Parts: sequence; C-alpha cells; structure tokens
Amino acid sequence: MECTRQEMMAIATGREFSNGELAIFGVGLSMLAGYWAQKNHAPDLVAFTEGGVFGSSPVGGLPWGIEDTRISANATSFTNAIDALGCLVASGRVDNAVIGAAQIDKFGNVNTTGIWEEGTQPWKAGRYTLPKVRLNGSGGANEIACGAKKFILMVTHEKKRFADRVDYISSPGYLSGGDSRAKMGFVGGGPCCVVTTLGILRPDPVTKEFYLDAYYPFSSVEEIKENTGWDLKVSANVKMAPEPTAKELANLRAIDTTGSLRKG
Amino acid sequence: MRSKLITIQEAVQKYTWDGMTYAHGGALPVGTDSIAFGREMLKQDRKHLNVISNCNTQQTNLLAAAGRIKRIEIGFSGLEVYGFANGLKRAVETGVTVLEDYSNGSIPLRMLAGALNMPFIPANAGFGSDQEYCCGDRPDEYPCSSKLPWVKDPFSGKNVPVYTAVRPETASIHVTMADIYGNAIMLGTEWNRYELSRAAQKVVLQADFIVDTDCMRQFPNLVRIPDAVVDAVVYWPYGVWPQCSVGVYDSDEKAMKEMNAALKTVEGTEEYIKKFVNSYSTVQEWLDLLGKERIDLISNTVTKFLMDPYRRWIKSDAEVLQMLERR
Repeated sequence: MECTRQEMMAIATGREFSNGELAIFGVGLSMLAGYWAQKNHAPDLVAFTEGGVFGSSPVGGLPWGIEDTRISANATSFTNAIDALGCLVASGRVDNAVIGAAQIDKFGNVNTTGIWEEGTQPWKAGRYTLPKVRLNGSGGANEIACGAKKFILMVTHEKKRFADRVDYISSPGYLSGGDSRAKMGFVGGGPCCVVTTLGILRPDPVTKEFYLDAYYPFSSVEEIKENTGWDLKVSANVKMAPEPTAKELANLRAIDTTGSLRKG
Repeated sequence: MRSKLITIQEAVQKYTWDGMTYAHGGALPVGTDSIAFGREMLKQDRKHLNVISNCNTQQTNLLAAAGRIKRIEIGFSGLEVYGFANGLKRAVETGVTVLEDYSNGSIPLRMLAGALNMPFIPANAGFGSDQEYCCGDRPDEYPCSSKLPWVKDPFSGKNVPVYTAVRPETASIHVTMADIYGNAIMLGTEWNRYELSRAAQKVVLQADFIVDTDCMRQFPNLVRIPDAVVDAVVYWPYGVWPQCSVGVYDSDEKAMKEMNAALKTVEGTEEYIKKFVNSYSTVQEWLDLLGKERIDLISNTVTKFLMDPYRRWIKSDAEVLQMLERR
C-alpha cells in the first residue's frame, strides 16, 4: 500500500502497543499512533493524558494540545497532573508510552531542551551556557522516561537528530549505556525501541546501544546508516518491517482526519 | 460573608508588584490559563517578574516577549502543536530571561509541598538527567548538586533526590465558574490548580462565569477550590483567548498563530500590545474587540454540553456589573 514516511512511522509505532496496556501519548503524531493502535488491534488499550483526561479520544480533528477541547469532549474523568504524571506515570503503573525528540543518541537519551554550538554543550564545557536554539523542555516526557515500564521513541530520521551523545539529556534513556540506567534506580525500564521515518532501532540487551532491527519497504540499511550520526550497528537478522496492510492504512486515515501524516 | 468580586484592574493593582514571585494556573499551553490577568499586568507595567509556570502559555509568551520576566521556573516552554513560543524563546536566547528547567510532573509536586508547608519533597522523576545537572541560577556549577540535592531516607538508608517547595506570592488562576466568595468549579483537567490554590500566599480567580452560590451547593464535590483559600474573584469572559476553556470555547487557531508570529520580534510585540492589551478596559470593550463573529466561532465547541448542568445559575454581564457597583 502506498503511504508516506510519516504514516509508516505512525503504523510502526502503533504496532508496538498491545491490547490491554495502560498507555500515555504525547500531543501530535504520537497521539495518532496511539489512537490508531486502539482502533486497529488494541481495543482494550487504556489511554490517558498527562493532565489526567481519561477515557477520551479526539473529536473534531487532531487536538492542538494534550488537554484541549478536542480531547476533552468525550472524557469519562478529568483529574490533574499529580494524578496522571505522579500516581500513574512516575509511580511505575504505565505499561507503554510514546515520546518524541528533537535529538536522540545511541543510548536512547532524549534532548528536547536546546541545541548548543559544538564544544559548548554543558557536558563538554563543564558549564551551563545559553543554548544557540532554545527548544521546549521536557514537559511530561521526563516522568514517562523515568516511570513507564517501557516507552517508544518516535523521531524523524535525520543525521542531525541522531547524535553520538545528545547536547542535553531532557529525558533519560540508558544514560551512558550498560548498567548506568539500572544504577540510577528509575522505576521504569527505559526505551524499548526507536521508531523513525526510515526504520526501527532496538537496544542491545547488554550494552544498551541501539542497533538497526528493521527498515521499511521504501528505505534501506545504507540510507539509514547514512542518516545516523553514530556508527550504527546492524542486526544480523535485519529485516523489512511489514508493509502497511490496506486495513491498517484505512484505520490510520480514519484517525488522521486532517491528513497531518500525509504531508510528510 | 463578604463578596470578593473586584475588577481585574483592582486585582492586578492590589495583588501584583514589580519583582514579585508570580504563578499562573493552569498554565497549559493550549488549555486553561489566566491570560487576561497577564494582559492586565502588562497594562499596569509590571516588570522584573520571577514566574512559576507549569507550562508556558500565551501569557508567559507575551510577558517574556515584552521583557517583563527576569526568571522563570518551567516544565515545558513551547506551545504544543502551535510550535515554539517565540516570545519566551527570544527572551531566553538573548539572556533577558533566566529559565530554570523542571518537568511537568515536578512543578505541581513542588506546589503540593508548598501547599503542605513542607520544605521539600522527594522527586519521583527529574533526576539522573540534565534537569538535575543544569541550573540556570548557577551556570558554573556543572553537574549541579544543589538543584535536586540527594538526602538520606532515614527509613531505608537509601539516598533520594528532593525538590524544593514553591510558595508563590500571588497566583492568578483561571476557573470556569466562580461565585462572588471564591468557590470555584473547573471543567477539564485541573492540571496544577488544586495545589497552586493552596501553595500561593494570595489567590485571585479569573472566571469565565460568575454563578450563584446555589450552584456550588448543588455540586459541592466539584468545588475543588473553596472560598477559604481565595482572596479575590475577577470576571473576565473569553479570558483564556486565544487558548481554550473546556466547556466554553475552543482555541482560536488563527489568533494563536498570529499572536505567536507577532511575539517573534520586538516590533511585532509592540504592535500586538497596542492592539490586544492597551486597546480596551471594560469587559464590554474586550468583547467588542474580539467581535461577534470570532466569539460565535470559538463558542461553537464540541465540549459546550459540559456547561449544561450549570447554566441556570450563571449571572449576566449586567448582574455582575451591579454586584461590582453594590460594594
């Protein structure tokens, strides 16, 4: 089936959700991926927002914000941030989640805070100077990264976004790899995969470095390696992710009513 | 009991000042926030503000664009699907505003600690990343050990990171409905407003509707902000515009984009202030500025049924004016 790279990324992300999971999605594309999973193969997926909007799905188009009117029109409960991000997410109750990133690194650390001139990154310079470009900060992603049993990173695959080491860790992945995350004592398990516009990366169980697990019908191992900012290891069993079926794509387009995934 | 209903001008005059620690709620980038109150602060020339925000909103985007925020503690500094907050981004990148990064879950936890009058609260996230190691107030200290210091849990003997409590001097909080004594009902997520209403030393409510106290007596379980913690009530319809108020109006897509585009530059910000801050003073002038066409458009929200149980208690604009005059 003909689909855009963004649609493939949303479907590949959604396939990582299982029926019956308790899940939290961010705003935008990750929300589409999550609600697609619910419609497509996981009808008993229970989702809520970080502000504590429970039991709802988007009405009248893709929500502009995670707590706006479009996500509040058919809710069964409104609570609050301490409840959603604290009692449910940071406590370790959530099974699965999606977070986006401006930049990620080979250990799945997430930067959504800023981009620095080379050499002035805080961890390199030993000083926290102003970034060249201020981004949006962590939002609720830090709680998700610390507390969710696992989470999916959803990122547009570009070399500048896939760094050997992120400029700033806004939300923790596997930190410096190996057992460094385990030593920190987070209640959550860390990122289970990175789903991109070109393929799917998964962490090595021991080193925690992300390797290429799958490419898409329209991408290749070479293209993915070229667009990754570290020397990406490739699984001996690297495979093509299944092409979206007609049913999968129809379900996605029924959710993406405004066609936001068809632009990319 | 005495009425706490005052005008927005009086509220800003009495409860805000230069250099203060100010918090706003809910502080959601597209959802609830006390934006009209922030416009009035700008009108009354408040500056050197130390702001506690859960998230950036068009209120902080505007105040930062106008150079009024010297420091901000924040969990998220963008505008969600509307992109970067150009005003705040510019203020941070040019060094006008010192930004201290937290996360969306940590700000309400710190408010809860403030509300309970506790000095600090254990962190359930935020540690082990640069949220812990980078401190805007102490940039030379990297990795910083004083933003989320680790203390020994006397029960388990393990070390745990802790957040400091926050107790803003004044919080302005948007609510859907309030009575004249300060009892309030919020539709949509509360986000941080329960904790903030207890953490702040002074609380001003900005309400879409003033309702009769009988409404509160009908739904007392929904009154999560009771009069006991409120100092003043302000009536300001469409006061979250261009963001949304669940049950009352949608976010105004066009105005959200235009405002954010204007705040990108000093000139654009001045133009915006002239047009949408300094151009009105009464509620009626504000409604005229928004115009009937826009009001009809944003009021046609898919959530408007949420207001149905409460409509019989809503006070008209004329009745609110009378109550203000009767003081």
